[in-house]
Amino acid sequence: MTTAAIITTIVMSLVFIVGLVFCFTRIGKGGKWED
Amino acid sequence: MAELTRERWGGRSFFLFAAMGSAIGLGNVWRFPALTYEYGGGAFLIAWIIGLIILGIPWMMMEFGMGRLFQKGAPGVFESIGKKWEWLGWWPVFVAFLIVSYYAVVISWSLNYAVDSATLAWGTGEAGATGAAGYFFGDVLNLSEGPSVLGGLQWPVVGALAGVWVVLFFIMFKGARVIGKVAAWTVIIPWALLIVLLIRGLTLPGAVDGLNYYLAPDWGALTNPDLWFGAFSQIAFTLSLGMAGMFAYGSFVAKKADINNNAFITSFTNCATSFFAGFAVFSIVGFIMQSLSVPVGDVSASGLGLAFITYPTAISMMPALAAVTGVIFFICFFFLGIDSAFFLTYGGVIAPLRDKFNWGRAKVTAVICAIGLVVGLLYTTQAGLYWLDIVDRATAFYGLLITGALACIVVGWFYGAGKLREHINSTSDFKVGAWFDWMIKIVVPAGLLFVVIYGGFKEDVTSAGYGGYYAWSWPIWAILVGTLLFSFWLQAAKTRAPQEVKLK
Repeated sequence: MTTAAIITTIVMSLVFIVGLVFCFTRIGKGGKWED
Repeated sequence: MAELTRERWGGRSFFLFAAMGSAIGLGNVWRFPALTYEYGGGAFLIAWIIGLIILGIPWMMMEFGMGRLFQKGAPGVFESIGKKWEWLGWWPVFVAFLIVSYYAVVISWSLNYAVDSATLAWGTGEAGATGAAGYFFGDVLNLSEGPSVLGGLQWPVVGALAGVWVVLFFIMFKGARVIGKVAAWTVIIPWALLIVLLIRGLTLPGAVDGLNYYLAPDWGALTNPDLWFGAFSQIAFTLSLGMAGMFAYGSFVAKKADINNNAFITSFTNCATSFFAGFAVFSIVGFIMQSLSVPVGDVSASGLGLAFITYPTAISMMPALAAVTGVIFFICFFFLGIDSAFFLTYGGVIAPLRDKFNWGRAKVTAVICAIGLVVGLLYTTQAGLYWLDIVDRATAFYGLLITGALACIVVGWFYGAGKLREHINSTSDFKVGAWFDWMIKIVVPAGLLFVVIYGGFKEDVTSAGYGGYYAWSWPIWAILVGTLLFSFWLQAAKTRAPQEVKLK
C-alpha cells in the first residue's frame, strides 16, 4: 500500500477506536436502563 | 384505566443492536466504498466525518430523543407537538413503507444469488466475467424495454420475496423484545462474514492496488461541491433517519435511559462498518482490475451494479473457493438487509399505525407484510428494475431528505431544540452543549436541503437513468404528492384511545 493509503487507514481507525472507547467507557455514567 | 405501558427492548444491548442493525445495511457495502473512491479517497473521508458530527449524530439524537420523550412513533411525536403537525410524522411512514417494498426485493435477489453462486450460474472464468451483467439483466430480471412494459412475473424472485416477508413477519409479530434479540444476530453475523470476505479479498492478486485507489487522498477534491454532496448524502442515507423508524425505536426506551451515548455508539459503529466494508470491496476491485487488465473506473461500481455484476464478475475469476465466496457474500447481503427491513416495517410503519389505531400487533403485522408482498410484486415484473429506480428516487432521496429537514425545523423551532436538549441531557451518559440546538435548528435542515437541491439538479441525474423517467418527472412527483395527501388524510382520521399494552 502507498504511504498515503496507510496513513488514511491509521487515522480513520484511530477516529473510530477513540470515539467508541470514549462511548463505551461512559456507559452507565448517567442514564438508568429500565425495562 | 390501567397505566399505559410501552413495549420495551429487554436490555440496552438489544436496543443498540436493533439501532445498529437498522443503520448498517446494503448501502454500507454497495454505496460508501464507491463514493469514497469517486470523491477523493481520504479527502472524502474528512468531509464524511464532518457530516457525521454536524448532521448525522444530532439528527439521530433528535429522533431517538423525541420518540423517548413522547413514547410514541413519528406521527404521535408530531401530533404531541401540535395536532397540525401530525402529517409530518405520517409522510416518512409512507417513505418507509415504499422503501421496504423494494428493499425486500433486493434482499430476495441476494437469496436467489446465494443459490446461484453455489453453481456459478453466470459462468466461470472470463466467460463468467463477461456474462455477469447479461445474467443479471437477462436471466434474473428479464428486463423489458421500459417501465410501461411490465411483462410477466419472475417466479424465482417472487418465491424468494414471499420467503423474505414470511421471515419478517415471524421476527416482528411479537414486538421489540424479539426484534432486539434477532438484531443481535443479524448484526454480528454480517460483521463476521465481512471479515471472511476481507481475508479472501486480501489473498487475491491485485488487492493492494484496489486499496490504494480506495484510500489515496486527493486533497484538491475538498474544494469540489460534488465531494460535499457525496459525503452529506451518504451520511443522510446511511443512518436510517428520516424514515420514521428511529422515533419508534426511541419510544421503546424507558424515560430514564440514555439517549446521547446510544446515538453516538450507533452512528460510530455504522460508519466504522462502512469504512471496514470498503476494504472488502476494493480488494476485490483490485483483483478484477488485474485479472481483466481494466482501469479502476471500469470496475468501481455502486448500488446494484456492485452487488449483482461486479462481485459475480470477481467470483467467476477466482482461482479457488469461488462458489463458497459467492454464497458467503450474498448471505452477508441478506443479513445486512433483513434488519434494515424489519426496522422500516416495524418502527417505520407498524408502530405508528398501532399508536394511532390501537390495532393488535400480530394482526397489523400480518396485514402490512401481505401488502408489502403485493406491492413488491411490481418489482418482480420485467419492468421491476425501472420501477425500483423511480420509487427509490422519490422516497429514499427526495422523501427522506425533505421530511428529515422539515422534522428538524419543526422540532428545532416549534417544539424547541433547547427543551429537547435539556430532556435528553437529564438522563444521558454525557451531556451535549448548546451546539446541538443550532445543529437541529439550522445546520441539519440546511445540509439536507443542500443535498436535495444540489443532487436534484446534478447533470447525471437529470439527463439519464430512471428508465427514461428523469429526476423531476411525473411518477416521482406523483409519489411525493400522493404520499403527502395520504399523510393529511391520516392526520384527519380519528385516533383510537390507547389501551394497556401488555408486556411479556
